[in-house]
Amino acid sequence: MKKLLLVVSALVLTFALAACGGTETYEIAMITDSGTIDDESFNQGTWEGIVEYAEANDISHKYYKPGEVSDDSYLDAIELAVEGGAKIIVTPGFLFETSVYEAQTQFPDVNFIIIDGYPHAGDWAPVVEDNTLSIFFNEHESGFLAGYAAVQEGYTKLGFTGGMAVPAVVKFGVGYIAGAYYAANELEVDIDFSDDTYTYFGDFGPSDDFKNIALSWYTAGTEVIFSAAGGAGSSVMAAAADTDNVMIGVDVDQSGSSPTVITSAMKQLGEAVQQGLDAYYNDEFPGGDIWYLGAEDDGVALPMESSRFDNFTTAQYNAIFDMLVDGDVVVPADYDALASFLEALTATDTSNVPTREVVTGQ
Amino acid sequence: MNYIIEMLNITKEFPGIKANDNVTLQLKKGEIHALLGENGAGKSTLMSVLFGLYQPEEGIIKVRGEEVAITNPNDANDLGIGMVHQHFKLVHNFTVAENIVLGYEDTKYGFLEYRDAIKKIKSLSEQYKLKVDVNSLISEISVGMQQRVEILKMLYRDAEILIFDEPTAVLTPQEIEELMHIMRDMTKEGKSIVLITHKLNEIKQVADRCSVLRKGKYIGTVDVANTTVDKMAEMMVGREVSFKVDKEKAKPSDVVLTVDHLSVFNQRINKDVVKDVSFEVKKGEILCIAGIEGNGQTQLIEAITGLTQSSNGRVVLNNQDLSNQSIRDRNVAGVSHIPEDRHKHGLVLDYTLEENLILQSYFTEKFQKNGFLKFDAIHTHAENLIDSFDIRSGKGPSTIARSMSGGNQQKVIVAREIDRDTDLLIAVQPTRGLDVGAIEYIHKQLIAQRDAGKAVLLISLELDEVMNVSDRIIVMYEGETVGEFDPEHVTENELGLYMAGSKRSDH
Amino acid sequence: MTKIQHFLKHNIVGVVTVVSLFLLFFVLPSIFSGSDLLLNVNRLMIILVGLTYIIYKYMMFRQNYPNFKFAESTTLVNVLGSVIAIVIGLIFGLILMFFVSPANAMPGFFTILKGGFNNLKSLGNMIYFSVPIILTGLSVAFAFRTGLFNIGATGQLTMGAFAAVFIGVRGGFLGDIHPLLHWGVAVLGAGIAGGIWGAIPGILKAYRNVNEVVASIMLNYVAMYLNTILITTYIYNVDYARALDIERTSATPTFNLDLLFPTSSVNGGIVVAVIIVIILYVILNKTTFGYELKAVGFNRDASKYAGMNAKRNIVYSMMISGAVAGIAGAMMFLVVGKHLKPENILLQEGFTGIAISLLGLSNPIGVLLAGLFYGSLQQGGYYMQLYDFKPEIIDIIIAVIIYASALALFLQTFVIRRLKAREMTIDAKKVVEQEKEGDK
Repeated sequence: MKKLLLVVSALVLTFALAACGGTETYEIAMITDSGTIDDESFNQGTWEGIVEYAEANDISHKYYKPGEVSDDSYLDAIELAVEGGAKIIVTPGFLFETSVYEAQTQFPDVNFIIIDGYPHAGDWAPVVEDNTLSIFFNEHESGFLAGYAAVQEGYTKLGFTGGMAVPAVVKFGVGYIAGAYYAANELEVDIDFSDDTYTYFGDFGPSDDFKNIALSWYTAGTEVIFSAAGGAGSSVMAAAADTDNVMIGVDVDQSGSSPTVITSAMKQLGEAVQQGLDAYYNDEFPGGDIWYLGAEDDGVALPMESSRFDNFTTAQYNAIFDMLVDGDVVVPADYDALASFLEALTATDTSNVPTREVVTGQ
Repeated sequence: MNYIIEMLNITKEFPGIKANDNVTLQLKKGEIHALLGENGAGKSTLMSVLFGLYQPEEGIIKVRGEEVAITNPNDANDLGIGMVHQHFKLVHNFTVAENIVLGYEDTKYGFLEYRDAIKKIKSLSEQYKLKVDVNSLISEISVGMQQRVEILKMLYRDAEILIFDEPTAVLTPQEIEELMHIMRDMTKEGKSIVLITHKLNEIKQVADRCSVLRKGKYIGTVDVANTTVDKMAEMMVGREVSFKVDKEKAKPSDVVLTVDHLSVFNQRINKDVVKDVSFEVKKGEILCIAGIEGNGQTQLIEAITGLTQSSNGRVVLNNQDLSNQSIRDRNVAGVSHIPEDRHKHGLVLDYTLEENLILQSYFTEKFQKNGFLKFDAIHTHAENLIDSFDIRSGKGPSTIARSMSGGNQQKVIVAREIDRDTDLLIAVQPTRGLDVGAIEYIHKQLIAQRDAGKAVLLISLELDEVMNVSDRIIVMYEGETVGEFDPEHVTENELGLYMAGSKRSDH
Repeated sequence: MTKIQHFLKHNIVGVVTVVSLFLLFFVLPSIFSGSDLLLNVNRLMIILVGLTYIIYKYMMFRQNYPNFKFAESTTLVNVLGSVIAIVIGLIFGLILMFFVSPANAMPGFFTILKGGFNNLKSLGNMIYFSVPIILTGLSVAFAFRTGLFNIGATGQLTMGAFAAVFIGVRGGFLGDIHPLLHWGVAVLGAGIAGGIWGAIPGILKAYRNVNEVVASIMLNYVAMYLNTILITTYIYNVDYARALDIERTSATPTFNLDLLFPTSSVNGGIVVAVIIVIILYVILNKTTFGYELKAVGFNRDASKYAGMNAKRNIVYSMMISGAVAGIAGAMMFLVVGKHLKPENILLQEGFTGIAISLLGLSNPIGVLLAGLFYGSLQQGGYYMQLYDFKPEIIDIIIAVIIYASALALFLQTFVIRRLKAREMTIDAKKVVEQEKEGDK
């Protein structure tokens, strides 16, 4: 008898609950890449841009997390977002390339913005459909600004730590080298920035080992390290804090993470995604385009308001930034271009320039 | 006559069973009152009620004529009731004095103050002739002494009523004798004693009156002086019990086991725990190795069965040298072993009865084929043994061993080992912790095996058992054999002296 | 009594309870999600008929075995412990959801309950996600049954994953012979790599008495760093900072399961998992080897007394446990579009396996069910994103449910203790009765 009662009550409950509920819809959706929403990097930067735009224009928005880091799961998450009512889906990072490639044909009525990547079938042949916008950044320009600012600030002993030698990180590094030596050339000083203080950690996550590398550099005299290594940057921050030194953050404004962050080589993720969203909502969605956003398009920047410079002024920053915008300085994006770029710098010693293209670990 | 404690019509029920059913216990001031019953008769439940660990459903407790409510052990202590536990509750790296005052320490300016305490302990020790050295560490003194420390602990707390829970289980005959004296002295000083035991001759020796419990029921109280041991046994078991084990004279024939100059070295304490032991066991005889616990018997058996490596000497079974064989090889060669600790070695408690019954034979053709167990054969095997050895359990072959009573667990082991039908049966304390009925049963089984032409090696701490069952006795003391006897021609007292190391014969 | 009757007597009530609860919690809510009243009434009829049949069967069973007592069915007691724990876990989850978003709590909760039973796709994905967890759960459970705590499933999984991916990337010539050969060799390689990694703490435990927990934890980190080195040295994709794509021939075949669960990620991993469940179940319950392993696990002294080679069994047990974890690694990464990364992060699946093993009461079949339950929760959590819950909150809710459920172990011992006390008194009574009869 008790059992029957249980069954009946369960059935009643089921009906009662089937009646309530019903999903809300979210127009702007973002799928998170591997890592958390507060990764102080792609997920966070992009999401903050979306939130700012959506709140200003009162549009519903939501981010979705894929079941795991795999192409299938990314595609599933896009499907889920569509099911959740998404009209435009933002995917931060190149890991979404093949998933967006599938999704753009599967959901022709939905629009996609993919950041730092372009849709392809796994063969790197870009297939950007009319409902998709692909956005890249000129990381080398961002790195250039950071290197330039560091040397102008008065630092002469520099270091660079990349997460892994992926193209974006390599471009940051090359730009950073170019910026540093460009400023040294302007100031007619010699700086100490060689292979000794240039490395790829081999990982984007924090680790005591990475902190130890940074510590050994700082103790040996390095004054500032630019860490283009995602979460591993926090290990560098810790090392800087321990030795009373400073570092430069990456991707987003990391000044809030540690007082040792003098500035950050930003990709204007938020700015970029807002440009895309704005175009979409003004019926000017540049479907099929690939954008490369540099200084000219407000795609890269140093956050001067939150930077902790004593000597490097906003006027100086604006001056060099304008030179990038105007094309007076063409920042090299790879080592070949860097070599010729450095040849033009005669007022400083460029014999020890870091040359590590792909070296992982220490 | 005034009673110091009266427990009247106590009934304590657990779900599904009455552990105490209308039990009455009346303790006179200055008497030694034995509480007799088999395992599970309800003795410990009754004492737990007295100590406030259980609340009875019915019945009242009076102390010194006044009805009291005892809700926890502290109440009992306040009423002057103290218990000497079977397993001592002592801190081994504390001194005697520290153990005695533990929980009742005096302090002066926040520091422990022992002077008065030691004075009191010394005077108590003298008063009751306990001869305890207050400054020794517990780990340095003998088991008998440790028990006296427990007694002193109660006296120190001014206990008027002392309850002894199976106090003689761990003592030598001489120590038992001394304990009896101490108990009598205490009653002369006005203390009252409850003696929990199932050893009838001790009751006969020391107690004034005896209350008997059986299966939770109160059977009666008798005057010990006017009651025979047989009568008390009958009250306890509910039927007549024979203490003398009926057996014919042994007819030993071929030698089965030869232990030849066997030594076992213990690295931890850096000495030989078995020293140069030699003996033989023949078909059709029961050889008993007697001795007080911890004199190397355990290691000797382990060396014979292969659980321990011997450092020297040989073990030969039917002319086959087993010294360097694995345990499995020895078992297969013909060693059956009823181990000392049935929970540690004898059974896998989480296995079922039928699984335990194949513990020594699961790998034989009878129970496996190509590595797969034959469940039908295992089941039938179990049913047969349950039948022939009268093993009682809740759910037959699929009963979990853990849920069985101690006596029936032991029967499982006995059944398994006897069923293997090997030439040598080693039984180590096979009746430990069992009640009279089960003991009787196991003794009969051992003798039946002997009569069937097996060689039986029995290790026992109980002198009764040693005297009754064996055909030949070897006494071990500190790892050595100190004498060999014929039970017909030796007294328990004399054996006791050998066991305690005060006598030895060269042989 | 025939074998089947014997099995029924000891298991039927447990099985029936599990099936009914499963229906109650998972299937019913999903079936009634549609809006067509007539359709729902039809379905209700079918279910009522089904339930009546089950109840009828149960009554028949009671009639045939009037003496059957719930307390005597260890299976049932164990299952009960797990079910109670799951319910408590779910209640914790629900409470948390009310705190986070009261309006969405109930629909969100039912999304979780529905879990993988949302639609065929989610069912497929549930199976897909549960496979590695089932396998690591089995790995932990198997070791646990033999008295060893294999906390190193993560490391064994990592080594297995590397071996599988390495063969998957470099073993194209095998695929040219036959695709299944390539996959089979990759899985086998993973099993061997995991087995070796598992055997190390086993050998240390058996011959040097090193605690297997400490050894296997350490080896987790060794595996993690070794994995980073091996990937970057042998199969590195610099552009993506991850291992190279595996050859398609080495990807786990779907065995047509994708037709059953269209568009889902499901693959043949579940077949592998079920086969391993069966193998482990048979080893543990039907063989002398399993009899020895369990005996060693329950009581090492007694197994020694019985002449079993405890040391050898410890090594074998850890080796099998490690091999299963290694195969879990293969199932995780022999997937097109999924990549092993040289990240210095311990893979979580090994640790989740511990919780699942507890929940599944270290029984292979229990672990299979618990693993599917986990997969279902994951899918439920995934679909909860359609409501106003942030993914992070959902992760917390799922974690709370899983870990509260893992309390099953403690609850189980509690339930068993209560029932044991009763059982023992019942046993005692029986013995007393038997003796009384004997007296007559």
